[in-house]
Amino acid sequence: MDSHKTGIKENDVLICLEDVWKIYQMGEVEVPALKGVSVEIKKGDFVAIMGASGSGKSTMMNLIGCLDVPSKGRIFLKSQDISKLSESDLASLRGNTIGFIFQQYNLIQSMSALENVMLPLEFQEYKDSDAVKRAKEILDLVGLSDKLHHRPTQLSGGQQQRVSIARSLASDPEIILADEPTGALDSVTGKEVLNMLHKLWKEHGKTIIMVTHDLNLAKYAHTTVELKDGEILRIFENNKVN
Amino acid sequence: MKINKCFKHAFNMVLHSKLRSWLTILGIVIGVAAVIAIVSMGEGMQQTMNAQLSGLGGDIVTISPGFSRGGGMFLMRGGAGGTSGGAQATDKEIVLGRSDLQALKGIPEIALIDTNIRGNVDVSYLGKKGKVSVTGVDQKVWSQITTLTIKTGRMLDSADQNVIVIGGRLASSYFDKPVGINKMITIEGSAFRVVGILDDQSTNIYMPIQMAYQVIDDKTNDVYDSLVVKIKNEDQLDEVIVKIDSKLMIARHVTLKNKDFSISSRKEMQQTRADTMSAINTFLLAIAAVSLIVGSVGIANTMFTSVLEKTKEIGIMKAIGARNNDILLIFLFNAAFIGLVGGIIGIILGTILSGLLPSLVGNLPIMRGTTIVSMNSIIMALSVSVSVGILAGIIPAYQASKLKPVDALRYE
Repeated sequence: MDSHKTGIKENDVLICLEDVWKIYQMGEVEVPALKGVSVEIKKGDFVAIMGASGSGKSTMMNLIGCLDVPSKGRIFLKSQDISKLSESDLASLRGNTIGFIFQQYNLIQSMSALENVMLPLEFQEYKDSDAVKRAKEILDLVGLSDKLHHRPTQLSGGQQQRVSIARSLASDPEIILADEPTGALDSVTGKEVLNMLHKLWKEHGKTIIMVTHDLNLAKYAHTTVELKDGEILRIFENNKVN
Repeated sequence: MKINKCFKHAFNMVLHSKLRSWLTILGIVIGVAAVIAIVSMGEGMQQTMNAQLSGLGGDIVTISPGFSRGGGMFLMRGGAGGTSGGAQATDKEIVLGRSDLQALKGIPEIALIDTNIRGNVDVSYLGKKGKVSVTGVDQKVWSQITTLTIKTGRMLDSADQNVIVIGGRLASSYFDKPVGINKMITIEGSAFRVVGILDDQSTNIYMPIQMAYQVIDDKTNDVYDSLVVKIKNEDQLDEVIVKIDSKLMIARHVTLKNKDFSISSRKEMQQTRADTMSAINTFLLAIAAVSLIVGSVGIANTMFTSVLEKTKEIGIMKAIGARNNDILLIFLFNAAFIGLVGGIIGIILGTILSGLLPSLVGNLPIMRGTTIVSMNSIIMALSVSVSVGILAGIIPAYQASKLKPVDALRYE
């Protein structure tokens, strides 16, 4: 593998899952969603987490994104054990380190595109003028500089997803977590979004983690982690990606 | 997130759920307006009372026949004064007479004594008839003893015979046409000339006592319904009352056990009135406070609904870096904001209401005068409404802040 070309730092592990279990309590039955998953994600990688529905991929994404804590096992994000962090530290870590892109965009409906992109910056206590400047730059980057004051309802699905990508980039995080980012889009717009992610990986050196059930999308990624029934089936690299 | 940003988001939340927010605000508005109006009424009455207490009449003592041994002593004023408080059940009617007057004259601290009788009489003016209360007064001293004031004309004079002084309402609106100075009013068939109109809202007629004996039924000369005494030095009020008490007991051959007269001072009467007033006020205020509590339950309800409705947004905000405290503050500010807006509108409405109150309540003797919206009650209403908002918002806001991001995001 040509690590130089892909920008992956072989020895720089960004996220590490060690024998991670996630068990949900459904009434009296315990349902394990993840069963002892161990994986390392390196800085600068483009990883696809792939699996059918119910395979545990969303659970895994929530854990990587510090939205949830494991039932057992440990997760290290930038060498910090996240189970040892307080809720407020986790929030800061999420805000600084991870940008989320959701299948349903999850924009705040009452806010304009600009306000949505500024929101993570406000949580990071940026100065207003800096936040506006930064948000405008990124919206420009995703090609929406003419839609700054549009509400989500005034934007198409593809545009909303681009706002959501812009929001994920706002506080310049190292990791972009995308949960079925094209799931609600037609194939053409879906492809645009994927190209955008690819560009962020290639040109901006972001670590991209994308959850998908679609093998065709996984082809865009450099590393694919395939899950089945809460366990890792295989991890393989796609050397054609560049 | 900075405080001002939290406030901005809270403000936007209120703006984006207009109807529900406004309905909740309405709950607070009603409570605050009620409190403001009632407090303003109370303060107005307090002020009137203080003015009366500090004004004329602090040196006036009234003696009436009859003695009430029950709890609170309420002296009847007006026509039926002669038989008031008749707890002393004897066959003989209890009256005040010449001997009592003589006894009082022997007290050096007393400056003036006015003898009064009261009764209801038929009156007519330009064909319009009515029945009003007449007070016969000793015209030689009345003008120096009474706390009533003249609007037009003059008080009664020692040489007066067939003349009267009438209350403001009797002059202005009681009859079909207003009664002016020097007009003749017929009382029980005799004509009387109006020489003065009082600056009040009563329909009373004041006339020389000798004339009153003639027009009021069942009155005997030298029998009085009450004696009004002006003492020389207001500071001696309490001592003089004790002195009058003992002198009259001797003159009337009664002891404490079968005492058959009452002594009251204006000060004492006004104090009783003030106490009653403040009790009524407290009661009304309690009712108003209940509506404020209901309003705060409304805020809590709205906030809980809002948290449910915004669960997904809370999840999104947490995913993109919101701390628990940020969410807590946004929701708390939202609740406080509802309280604040409700408080401000409530104060405005309450002030308008308190302006209308005197005319709504009418001319009750209890509520003569104005209402006062003081700065204190405004500050109090604002701080109460905001704290009510915050209190009502605490639990919902805490719940919102404790939502787990992963659960919140999954919420639809």
